[in-house]
Amino acid sequence: MSATLDALPATPVAEPAGLLPRGWRRVLRRPASVLGGAVVLAFVAMALAAPWIARVDPAATDWSQIRKAPSMAHPFGTDDLGRDNFARVVWGSRVSMQAGVFSIVLAISVGVPLGLVAGYYRGALDQVIMRLTDAWLAFPFLILAIGLVTIMGPSLTNATVAIGLGATPTYIRLTRALVLATAAEDYVQSARALGAGDGRLMARHILPNIFSSLLVQATVSIPIAIIAEAVLSFLGLGVQPPTPSWGTMLNAAQQFLDSAPWMAWWPGLAIFALTLSFNLAGDGLRDLLDPKDY
Amino acid sequence: MVEFLVRRVAISIVTLIVISVIVFIGVRMIPGDPARVMAGTDADAAGLEEIRAKYGLNDPIPVQYLRWAALALHGDLGRSIRTRDPVVTTVAKKLPITIELACLAVLIALAIAIPAGVLAAVRRNTAWDVLASGASLCGVSVPNFWLGIMLILLFAVRLGWLPASGFVPWWESPIANLQRMVMPAFVLGAALAAVLMRQTRNSMINVLGADYIRTAYSKGLAGRAVIFRHAIRNSLIPVVTILGLQAGALMSGAVVTEQIFVVPGFGRLIVESVFTRDYPLVQGVVLITASSYVLINLLVDVSYSLLDPRIRIGGTP
Repeated sequence: MSATLDALPATPVAEPAGLLPRGWRRVLRRPASVLGGAVVLAFVAMALAAPWIARVDPAATDWSQIRKAPSMAHPFGTDDLGRDNFARVVWGSRVSMQAGVFSIVLAISVGVPLGLVAGYYRGALDQVIMRLTDAWLAFPFLILAIGLVTIMGPSLTNATVAIGLGATPTYIRLTRALVLATAAEDYVQSARALGAGDGRLMARHILPNIFSSLLVQATVSIPIAIIAEAVLSFLGLGVQPPTPSWGTMLNAAQQFLDSAPWMAWWPGLAIFALTLSFNLAGDGLRDLLDPKDY
Repeated sequence: MVEFLVRRVAISIVTLIVISVIVFIGVRMIPGDPARVMAGTDADAAGLEEIRAKYGLNDPIPVQYLRWAALALHGDLGRSIRTRDPVVTTVAKKLPITIELACLAVLIALAIAIPAGVLAAVRRNTAWDVLASGASLCGVSVPNFWLGIMLILLFAVRLGWLPASGFVPWWESPIANLQRMVMPAFVLGAALAAVLMRQTRNSMINVLGADYIRTAYSKGLAGRAVIFRHAIRNSLIPVVTILGLQAGALMSGAVVTEQIFVVPGFGRLIVESVFTRDYPLVQGVVLITASSYVLINLLVDVSYSLLDPRIRIGGTP
């Protein structure tokens, strides 16, 4: 026994890298994804700590400070009502995060059970759910959201619900396809042969195995949802003034492009940075969770 | 083949029926008297009565739906509350503008995506590939309305090369028309270009690994001839499908783009009708958008099955 160990002296060389699980090493090989993840976490921290980062009230107007260029007192300048743009960008991250995350949570909590049931039971129920999904998907995302906000009235909550409902069919389809593939696997069949009921099969054997694919899809849809919220707010169908949101800030900025261009820079740059980071981090997560793809 | 077509058309019809039910119920979910909703707040009692009679608002809901659907099939989607014009006429006036915008956007997207995608695939894992993929990632991540605002800031405000917004019909002045369309078309095409470039790169890489490409090389064809004559053509088939699937995104994008550049098209009509609470117009526009999306995808599927015989046998998912 000890003789064989002695015969393999070269193995410890690989040890330092071996301290990390294989998946993590794979991620660290993609510095862009790590950076993306770090920026996303920084935005989360910014949203949570908004009151401490931005000392100024984002809704406080100051008539002596209207459309002032960036300065020491106002690093991002001020807007048309003399409000501090830095504070508004920081507070706006709350709205974006809320809308981005909660809408996708809604889409998952509606879409996954429906897709699970459709893919597991098949038959007439599957047909009904899938035809409804087809019809739901025929409405372009934004137009569906606009239609729903028209019915429900513009507000952050309603915009979040509308975006969530718009994203739901993607999750129904994805879950159904994953369930169809997973339910045919041997381990599911053997669990069934051991007498596991439908509920147990779905909850204990199928769902945990499709979870990582759903998580990867979430990293794709959250940035889309964040942009969608900004678009709805930009159109005036989302967050209502005076609550700061990147979309409403850009809406206001549009009227002052020649006199106060900085009003348009920062909120847009914030959306861009956040969605780009989400996409980069999502790519890394895909590598980590989906070995087939690699 | 016939069976595939029949199945595909049947599914599309079912989808269209479900869409019409959703749209019908949607407008009914707006709180308040449906006649008041459809006629607008300033309608008099006679106007309300006329609406009630036309749509039979005292009948059971399924009967009301059938009557509405029958009218819709005859091209009667009601009248706009604000202008009193028939919804269909209003849409017919606005739609060509958006179609021009969308066509220009697709042209711009293809002109960027195909060369970039092919280059990235042929020069895989080089600086070109990284550059193209990075640009594509940025294209997907950049909010198009912000891109539009930044372009206005640069080309209209700073450099003064292009007018910031507005619209001139092409028959009045083709040059003025293009001057005002190029920025919105680029903004609308940017995200599409990003998606198409990724698709072109992936499918080109797949094709380059295929046996017939190796055969073409081994029979002595020059690299350029293999790529242009064999690889690109075959790798573009999946790109066509993606283009069809992106039709919906293009419509959503048009809403935002037309809003920023003040293009009086279909997308702007949607936003305007929402703000004026012009429910018949919203209803008609949403119905037309969703139906055309279904029809576009039906056409894409059918043309795809003609291009690639393997699809027909597999049937629809």
